[in-house]
Amino acid sequence: MTSFEVHVTIENKPGISDPEGETILNDLVLKGAYKTVSKIMTAKMLKFTVQEKDQRAAQSLIQEVCDELRIYNPVVSKVSFDVLKA
Amino acid sequence: MSLEPQELGELKSKIGRDPTPTELQIVAAEWSEHCSYKSSKRHLRILPMEGPLVIAEKGYDSGVLDVGGGYVITAHIESHNHPSAVEPYGGAATGVGGVIRDILSTGTRPIAILDGLRFGDISKDKQARWLFKNAVSGIADYGNCLGIPTVGGEVEFDQCYESYALVDVAAIGFGKKENLVKNHARKGDVVVLVGGSTGRDGIGGSQFASDLLESEDRSAVQIPDPFIEKLIIEAVLEARNQKLIHAMKDLGGGGLSCAISETADALGVGIEMDVSKVHTREPGMHPDEIMVSESQERMLIVTSKTKLRKLREICKKFRIGCSVIGAIKSGRQMRVKKGRRTLADLPVDTVANATLLDLPSTRPKYLYGIEQEKKLRKISNYPKTLLELLGAPNIASKIWVYGQYDHEVGIRTVVKPGCDASVLRLDNGKLLSAKIDGNPKHCYLNPREGAIGCFEEACRNVVCTGARPIGMLDHLQFGNPKDPEIFWTFLESLRGLSDFAKNLKIPCIGGKVSLYNESIFGPIKPTPIIGVLGLIDKKPLVPQRITEGDCLILVGDTKNELGGSEYFEYIHKFVGGRCPVVDFKSSKKNMRSVLDLIKRQLLKSSHDCSKGGLAVAVSELCMTNQIGCKVSLEKIPGERLDADRLLFSESHSRYLLTVGTKNVKKVQEILSKNKVSFRQIGRFLGDSIIFTKGNEPIIDLRVDKAQKTWVSSLRDLVLYG
Repeated sequence: MTSFEVHVTIENKPGISDPEGETILNDLVLKGAYKTVSKIMTAKMLKFTVQEKDQRAAQSLIQEVCDELRIYNPVVSKVSFDVLKA
Repeated sequence: MSLEPQELGELKSKIGRDPTPTELQIVAAEWSEHCSYKSSKRHLRILPMEGPLVIAEKGYDSGVLDVGGGYVITAHIESHNHPSAVEPYGGAATGVGGVIRDILSTGTRPIAILDGLRFGDISKDKQARWLFKNAVSGIADYGNCLGIPTVGGEVEFDQCYESYALVDVAAIGFGKKENLVKNHARKGDVVVLVGGSTGRDGIGGSQFASDLLESEDRSAVQIPDPFIEKLIIEAVLEARNQKLIHAMKDLGGGGLSCAISETADALGVGIEMDVSKVHTREPGMHPDEIMVSESQERMLIVTSKTKLRKLREICKKFRIGCSVIGAIKSGRQMRVKKGRRTLADLPVDTVANATLLDLPSTRPKYLYGIEQEKKLRKISNYPKTLLELLGAPNIASKIWVYGQYDHEVGIRTVVKPGCDASVLRLDNGKLLSAKIDGNPKHCYLNPREGAIGCFEEACRNVVCTGARPIGMLDHLQFGNPKDPEIFWTFLESLRGLSDFAKNLKIPCIGGKVSLYNESIFGPIKPTPIIGVLGLIDKKPLVPQRITEGDCLILVGDTKNELGGSEYFEYIHKFVGGRCPVVDFKSSKKNMRSVLDLIKRQLLKSSHDCSKGGLAVAVSELCMTNQIGCKVSLEKIPGERLDADRLLFSESHSRYLLTVGTKNVKKVQEILSKNKVSFRQIGRFLGDSIIFTKGNEPIIDLRVDKAQKTWVSSLRDLVLYG
């Protein structure tokens, strides 16, 4: 068994508005000198540390956790996974 | 999203050609049940809509009542059931946003929100808990961000809402009569879209709301942005003050398609618009998507070319989008273009007025024999039963819910949530009382009497604050109307409401019909929600603290009406029996008499008897005042009944009056003079809730113990299951 760190990123589905990201862009970033920034999207990240036999098993377990326990709402959010060796 | 074959045929014959794809999308949105009311509209006409205070104007999305001194109040009710069932947080929040823009569209400032929430049985159903928790935070976050108080509402749980949610939001607005937007338009006026950008969210939502909820439809969910809504409110009100608005409509179900066609229809004009002028959130949106997108926080404003500059300045100041998307034309066509290409060219009348249906109805089979009561087990321990009821999710204190809402912001709230009805201070020195009520358990057993009961309960609550009812809002929520049995329950409820409204001369100032409320487990119980607004000319009855020695007078008869009661359903798990029936004559008499007593300032408090019956109502008085009470069952007015019925029957038209000893005689005199059925049933003293039968106490429950259960049980259920 190896220890893995699984990063779960939860963000709004594409095409859905992101008031927080838009506010950071319009009221903070573009108010300053950073005119080349064109988009900001907010997301939430959860970092799981898990003991599994390989990377694939680690990801599928965490995916199951997120789906089963409604860690995100599939209706509005999409999730992506990054698995790292801890 | 599509039209039914016969609807398509009808459209073809009306326009004399095949519709274009964009035209199909527009018509499908507008002819959906949600936007067109095609099943219900011809029947809704039986509701009385006129009254001395009602101001009717074309194209208003909310009801307007004249409250004197040059001021008006506006009110509207909406639901957001389907979206909330799949995304409770966003669904409930955007529900609040939508109804607030309806208030705004008449040119009044929204001053209060009320919400009615219904979910499955949270004591067993995990999903119902999740829906409940998130819908409450959605409403709280949205309302609190806007600075509009959520002053009241109701929460109910019933198995029929399993995997589903009913989220009803009512809003109240206030403003000067002279500032009301008088919807009008002249040829050459411009059509402006103000507010948030148009995106791909919520595409086809109104169609979605008219279909059965069998699969999770992802694109129909909208994301709330209360801060843009707040900016829209302020920008619109400033534009209103500068008289820049000729006509206004909020974008709700059906998006631009409905807003454009309905505005043109109400104003009797044509509108030509260009989709490429709409400010969109992302590039490459298809014209059809722009036409039916239900992105939130948008308003459609008609203004003249000369006033446009000022309107743009205001939008710039508040940093909200403002695009001129079209113009008013003569002739009654709705034309949608992209650049020079015409995508749709339809007669407004055809789009905005779907052919109304006349659906068949039959009395449901389940009703036969439902009034038969089954033999129930005998209650051996009444204090335990009462305690169980006080902790039942439908009766327990809802402080966990309204504690999350800001109900004070705006400093109008005189009587706060947790009492019978909330009271708001108005600028003309008068006060407004508001309450919404529903009771699916009663409506299931008897759709007519149940609906009248909800109406009477809302009236009772408002009367308890000293307000005379001046207007009602109805929100009729049922299953699939194409099922004749369900449609029968709809018609029965509607007829009942109409009869009661006519009898009490309370006009219906607005409403909504929500059909197809079904989940995979079947249709919901008939759930009409009734909102009642009351006006207080001088002083409201703010409940005073009850002290030792105060007398308890019960007005109204207690009858053998346990059907659909919490006692039957929660304690005995029995669905059936005779549901309470409102006697119009005594309802009116009791209301008038209680109002009279309040006006003469003879009462310390007035509380209505509803869910859980007399036993629960008396306990509520004791718990909120932390004082005991001794009630004698023999003194309860009405027919001779057994203890269960006296304690738990949910008969209507009953009021519990608390009177200081010095006023008792006077109160009794007035009630006798008005020929009202009443009796002093007990006195407040000690620290226990006591009901006696003969000389024996059958209930003796410590107030602090009862209060602990009543206050904490809902929170505990939500948090710990």
